[in-house]
Amino acid sequence: MFERFDADARRVVVRAAYEEAQALGSASLEGEHLLLALAADPSTGAGGLLVDSGLDHDGLVAALERETERSLAAVGIALSDYEPAARPAAGRRKASFATSSKRALARAVGVASARGDRVVSTAHLLVGILRGEIGTVPRALEAVGVDRVTLMIAAERLL
Amino acid sequence: MTVDTPHDPADRLAGVVALRRLADRVEDAEVELALREGWTWSQVAEALGVTRQAVHKKHARRLAQAGTSERGD
Repeated sequence: MFERFDADARRVVVRAAYEEAQALGSASLEGEHLLLALAADPSTGAGGLLVDSGLDHDGLVAALERETERSLAAVGIALSDYEPAARPAAGRRKASFATSSKRALARAVGVASARGDRVVSTAHLLVGILRGEIGTVPRALEAVGVDRVTLMIAAERLL
Repeated sequence: MTVDTPHDPADRLAGVVALRRLADRVEDAEVELALREGWTWSQVAEALGVTRQAVHKKHARRLAQAGTSERGD
């Protein structure tokens, strides 16, 4: 399924992003888990760009928490209102690709195809994620004052 | 609770997404707690309004690996 992905990009989509989803207790693998997986490895082009842009892994987790708080507030819920009786045990659960991550992957492959690139790299992945204009990822970036378009243009220069 | 309802659909729709995720987290925590307190899978399923198979499929593997003791029903 990911034959066109280079080693780093494949590791992100078949392992690292799953681990991000599991660590956050998510049953689904969303676009933000792909982004977290990229940020977790600054040795790749995409990961390095994210860290240089102030979005290291912890910074992204904080941005996502801020986005959740703001979104819940929009429907009248304060996150602090809920105190779980028990913290869910961090058991493993096989996350499945959600629509948000499928869209990001499809855009990444589309970017590579449009450029005639035979291999999909972490930079293609990052561009694919950042091209999404609506949803959790753009809102999380906005919540911490990162300009999505500027970051996307920088990611395109890595191609 | 009074809040300033935002007029931007993007904010309110993102609120729906965040609520679903919060509900999932609450379910994870509360199912685990109920089982620890001795509820059976069937009781938990009935309380949630789903089948035993559905709740078991969703939570059993995660809780087994997390070490929560399982009771039959």
